[in-house]
Amino acid sequence: MVNTATKPKHYQSLLIDEYIHKLEAGEALLKDSPENVLEVVGILKSYGVVLDAYSVNLCYIADHQFLVLFPFFKYFNGEVNFNKLLRYWWHDRINYEYAEYCMKTMFWHGGGGLDRYLDSPEFLAVVEQVIRAKFKYNPLMLGLHAIFKDFLPEQMRQMAYYSGLGQFWRVMSDIFLSLSDRYERGEIKSISQVVQHILDGLVAAANKPITYKVMVRGQTYELIPKKAGLTFLTDTAVPYVEAIFFRGTPFPGTVSYNAQAYQIPYDQAVFNYGALYADPLPIGSAGIPPTLLMQDMRHFLPQYLLDFYRQGIRGEGDLRVKICQSFQKSMFCVTTAAIKGLAPYPLDTKDPQQQQANRTYLKGWLKRLVESQLTAVNS
Amino acid sequence: MLSALILLPLLGSALIAFLPTKIEAKQTRLIALVVSVSVLVLNIVLGWRFNPELDQFQFSEYIPWVEWLGLNYHLGIDGLSLPLVFLNSLLTFIAVFSSSKSLRRPRFYYSMLLLLSAGAAGAFLAQDLLLFFLFYELEIIPLYFLIAIWGGQKRGYAAMKFLLYTTFSGILVLASFLGLVWLTGAESFDYEPLRSHSLSVTSQLLLLTPLLIGIFIKIPIFPFHTWLPDAHVEASTPISVLLAGVLLKLGTYALLRFAVGLFLEGWVVLAPWMAILAAISALYGASCAIAQKDMKKVVAYSSIAHMAYILLAASATTRLSISAAVFQMVSHGLISALLFLLVGVVYEKTGTRDVDSLRGLLNPEKGLPITGSLMILGAMASSGIPGMIGFISEFLVFRGSFPIFPVPTLFCLVGTGLTAVYFLLVINRVFFGRLTEKLSQLPPVRWTELVPAFVLTVLIVTFGLQPSWVVHWSEVQAVALLTGG
Amino acid sequence: MTDFLLHTIWIIPLYGLLGAILTLPWSLGIIRQTGPRPAAYVNLLMTLLAFIHGTVVFNSIWTQPTQQLVFHWLKVADLDLTLAIELSPVSLGALELVSGISLLAQLYALGYMEKDWSLARFYGLMGFFEAALGGIALSDSLLLSYALLEMLTLSTYLLVGFWYAQPLVVTAARDAFLTKRVGDIILLMGLVALSSYGAGLNFSQLEAWAKTSPLPPLTSALLGLALIAGPTGKCAQFPLNLWLDEAMEGPNPAGIMRNSIVVSAGAYVLIKLQPVFTLSSISADALIILGTVTAIGTSLMAIAQIDIKRTLSHSTSAYLGLVFIAVGLGQVDIAFLLLFAHAIAKALLFMSAGSVILTTSNQNITEMGGLWSRMPATTVAFVVGGAGLVALMPMGMFWTFQRWFNGSWEVDWWLLEILLFVNALSALNITRVFRLVFLGKPQMKTRRAPEVPWPMALPMVSLTVVALLAPLAPIKWSLWLSPTTPLVLGNELIIRSAVPLLLVSGALGCLIGAGIPLRRAWARPTQVTWRFFQDLFAYDFYVDRLYQLTVVAAVSWLAKFTSWIDRYVVDGLVNLVSLATIFSGNALKYNVSGQSQFYLLTILLGVSLLLWSVLNGQWSIMTDYWSSIATQ
Repeated sequence: MVNTATKPKHYQSLLIDEYIHKLEAGEALLKDSPENVLEVVGILKSYGVVLDAYSVNLCYIADHQFLVLFPFFKYFNGEVNFNKLLRYWWHDRINYEYAEYCMKTMFWHGGGGLDRYLDSPEFLAVVEQVIRAKFKYNPLMLGLHAIFKDFLPEQMRQMAYYSGLGQFWRVMSDIFLSLSDRYERGEIKSISQVVQHILDGLVAAANKPITYKVMVRGQTYELIPKKAGLTFLTDTAVPYVEAIFFRGTPFPGTVSYNAQAYQIPYDQAVFNYGALYADPLPIGSAGIPPTLLMQDMRHFLPQYLLDFYRQGIRGEGDLRVKICQSFQKSMFCVTTAAIKGLAPYPLDTKDPQQQQANRTYLKGWLKRLVESQLTAVNS
Repeated sequence: MLSALILLPLLGSALIAFLPTKIEAKQTRLIALVVSVSVLVLNIVLGWRFNPELDQFQFSEYIPWVEWLGLNYHLGIDGLSLPLVFLNSLLTFIAVFSSSKSLRRPRFYYSMLLLLSAGAAGAFLAQDLLLFFLFYELEIIPLYFLIAIWGGQKRGYAAMKFLLYTTFSGILVLASFLGLVWLTGAESFDYEPLRSHSLSVTSQLLLLTPLLIGIFIKIPIFPFHTWLPDAHVEASTPISVLLAGVLLKLGTYALLRFAVGLFLEGWVVLAPWMAILAAISALYGASCAIAQKDMKKVVAYSSIAHMAYILLAASATTRLSISAAVFQMVSHGLISALLFLLVGVVYEKTGTRDVDSLRGLLNPEKGLPITGSLMILGAMASSGIPGMIGFISEFLVFRGSFPIFPVPTLFCLVGTGLTAVYFLLVINRVFFGRLTEKLSQLPPVRWTELVPAFVLTVLIVTFGLQPSWVVHWSEVQAVALLTGG
Repeated sequence: MTDFLLHTIWIIPLYGLLGAILTLPWSLGIIRQTGPRPAAYVNLLMTLLAFIHGTVVFNSIWTQPTQQLVFHWLKVADLDLTLAIELSPVSLGALELVSGISLLAQLYALGYMEKDWSLARFYGLMGFFEAALGGIALSDSLLLSYALLEMLTLSTYLLVGFWYAQPLVVTAARDAFLTKRVGDIILLMGLVALSSYGAGLNFSQLEAWAKTSPLPPLTSALLGLALIAGPTGKCAQFPLNLWLDEAMEGPNPAGIMRNSIVVSAGAYVLIKLQPVFTLSSISADALIILGTVTAIGTSLMAIAQIDIKRTLSHSTSAYLGLVFIAVGLGQVDIAFLLLFAHAIAKALLFMSAGSVILTTSNQNITEMGGLWSRMPATTVAFVVGGAGLVALMPMGMFWTFQRWFNGSWEVDWWLLEILLFVNALSALNITRVFRLVFLGKPQMKTRRAPEVPWPMALPMVSLTVVALLAPLAPIKWSLWLSPTTPLVLGNELIIRSAVPLLLVSGALGCLIGAGIPLRRAWARPTQVTWRFFQDLFAYDFYVDRLYQLTVVAAVSWLAKFTSWIDRYVVDGLVNLVSLATIFSGNALKYNVSGQSQFYLLTILLGVSLLLWSVLNGQWSIMTDYWSSIATQ
């Protein structure tokens, strides 16, 4: 792997300038080519299907499996029958563990309005009511709650994240699936169109409220009411990009957790284990959680992408690595859309002052991106 | 019955040699495969009918031949040769199977391969010293060509070195045989009658010395071993399999059959020195293996170390140690064949055997995970991890030798410990870690390519758990070898 | 039915093995479309079966005399290798402990490893691990135990190497294997020698043999030392202790097994070998010295560690050091109790540590804090585990120590001093870790820490309950092995003061642990001497570097030297002597010159001449023979 970190500083700043120039010219971080369009759209189609399943399940768990100590059937979405049970035992199912992994990572890193709201007295007050209601006839749990005061509230905070991520992915899934539909209708031809499509979707949903309410014994509790003012873009999308795309968590399969080896930084803000940084080659090995996502996506690949993959020397033998490589490409498109959407001014502005502000803003992003897999996917 | 074991591959060899040129490599391979499978089947039938309780040669065939020379076509099989003949036919089959389907000059190749197999079988079966020598020499020629034509870059050098060393070895063996007949005044080179002649210890030593040097070159024992790493490195994979699995065993077979069998009193005099030499050879081989960067050289030096245990067991000359020596031959044959096969797979897919340029091959998507797993298993078998054949064969060797030569045995045990060191250095370097970019476009390994490795693995584990299935063939013979004619 | 189960007890280890084999379709990548979880379920089921089978038999064995099942494995010449298993309350109890902890660890792994796609390989290895451990528990033959200890070495290598792409794992797995292997090879030497001296390799035969052994003192001393070496590696005793630290790179559920029952397996074999150590006082002394050095050294190492797993793993070595001392003194019942109390407590502590690691994605205790109120199961597990390890609360280790000093055993002041030292440091360590991890203010990485899901919480809570019940063992069955109750020696001062002193030492340790300033991620001791000692302990007295400079350097230098000799001296010399006399050295040049082809020609010519002379005129005999066969 090209280790950009060791490259001279001036080389990096040249690279940053190059990408700034590209972005201002309306291009994306990922270079435009017919293969890239095919890969990105194809993988986003599959990702859309998987995200749909993830999102439905996350919301189901948040709404129905909260404060359940033994949620044996939490991945069943409420439909338990013998056939499904056998299928699940055979592990012939979506790996919802990955969705939970993303949720936990996001929860752990925090950031954004959702994270702040979970520490607010308003939230905790409702949580207390929910706990009282749920364990009304369970003195054991209430006793435990009295001793370990943060135990159940922490679980409910996690549930809020289940719900938040579920709602976020709902929107993303729809965006990706409609992108695929448009591609199949011949409306999408270039990477910048892909970016534009995603950007439009993000903008349309930007102010969608994020809420969370649960029902206990026939009564509804609004854990995150609409009036809390949490919205899609700033309170889930931005923290999501930060936590999942950039920071992530170190994979035990590649990074040592040994404290005395000091491989993992003290400051989470400088973590770079996220989706944009992860090395695709070890996918499929032990201790690499994204393998689960790649495994899920392999079942929903559109035929044209599968044919594309089969051209490699290993055919389907190294499918998951190839999926991961395409996936990283597509995530750079999503990142481009996010950069564009969050920019202080339109990137193609001609006003020098606005340009200046834009450049400072872009430099902030690119300084972090330049050490990601960006150079690898474009080479 | 026994002649068929020699003639079948011989005829196959001739048939392939005279095939029309338009026959493709694939079909030639198929014919060779059919021949080797039938030899294998024949061998299984033979094993089925063999009676391990008898302490004499069975299925003997005797044709008077060159009477003025004292040479007779006399074949026979006993518990000492049976496992080796079986090993030979199994590994020949594996060698043919794992030969590339698109070779240069396939007819010549398979013809030589089968000739090699016939020569080895003949040597194991010969009950006539001169006949043994003929087969012993016969096998050199095909092997020379197999290395010199289908070898690596320095194949000419390696093949020539092999040729010179082994021919020299042959001359010494022949000299000793001739001297024996001359000194005893026997009228023929027949093995059994020669055993009953008694010679003074001095003349035994006189004859034993050239014989031993000849045998040590073949096994090989330090300091006569240097042809082996070169030959292995340059030979293609199937040839390495045969070389390590079968041809080296000719040396140890001769050691037991002739050095111990014919010159027991003289051998006992030399035995303490031989035990020390075995310990030196074992430690030397292990120590060299640690420093190697070429995977194949590591396996080759490991071969030297493990073959030395047979010398140790032979020097102890107890009933147990002789049985153990035979068992160790089988064990080394299977394990080294497996390791060479796997190194061959790595080489074929990556184009290198250099430990420093390989990394992370266990990667399940883009690496060679199954090859790597089998390699770990093979290395463990070689290091003597129980449950596999390497442990029990070495344990018997050490247990058999310890009461006689405790100190050399302990040093050999240290050598066993070092086995794990050099193999783990290689494995953790080559298979663990992150796959490098350079290795990210390797062709996949097909299951059929690993069939021979799986067969060997099954045998290694089976005999490791049920050693008596091998040991009981040779147990009675071990006693016979020590009690004299 | 019970009888049938009793006589098929040898199947129990095979359950685990079968489970391991059944994982192959997934771990070999034959099944790729669906996930590997069935492999995990199969292994859980197998372990459950083993546990149930074991429980039934364990309940019935109390009324039966000790039995032996002997299997003749291999008979060659004068050597008869038998594999024997023993059916006694002790061996079945050990088996129960193995399958019990294995069951819990595997259930725990279902949660801990849920994001790992190599789950099948992991469970396969765990099954293999369990099979080997179960076998050791039952084994009554040194040969079988040795074989199984080697299996443990192998599976430790594979389990530590589970995350094989991670750089530190690469060396850790290798070092773990080689360190253990050093011990194993020396043990094998002892085994070969024992067998050669005419001792049968079954433990009962060994005991009988040891009583009548005619060995000279030096031999018996060396023999004893050789037999100690194997368990020294397995139990991570000085000087073979460092692998356990490195082995912490492996997945935590395997760490639970490793720090509780795997290290105990080595000590279990040691206990069984104890009669042989009576041959020579040197081996007994060696055990005591090794145990003492390890107990003191690793106790010190533990208190300076900042990695949550390593704080606990060094303490494992320390307690196993006490076991060594007990065996050296010949007090095997105490050794057993120590193993039992330690195994339960340490398994629990590791479960707790694992859930902290998973929740906080971190192993550095200086970056933690404030977890207690949000993670009840984890916190309680740590507290109970810690209490079980330290002789302060009336839990497992307290009662074990109490039994040691209740007057039934010959004890001395030095022993009490070691115990006080280990106990105090252990208390200090546990208190320190508890404060850093669970108390105080949450830090960044512990800010969001929901309790772990049920597959991890359930085994943790179950084991907590077991640990609370564990003191019953030393109280009710303190004499497992001795056929007769040792005499109560009376009311000496040491007997009277031991328990109070132990309590004081535990309390003192806790107080110091509670009082010392805690080191946080950004803080380093400012005082030079403190920093020196902290680094000295934290980096394991730099023993690894010492090995690097001595043993490793020596081996690698020797290897390079021999290799050089081989290439330039031996090869050259032999080539010269054997060939230069016949042909000029040119024949060996890399390019095949005309000369060598000429040489080949002469050989071919010579051989064909020989063949011709031999076959000349003899064809008729050949054809006659074959035609006679053909016409038959």
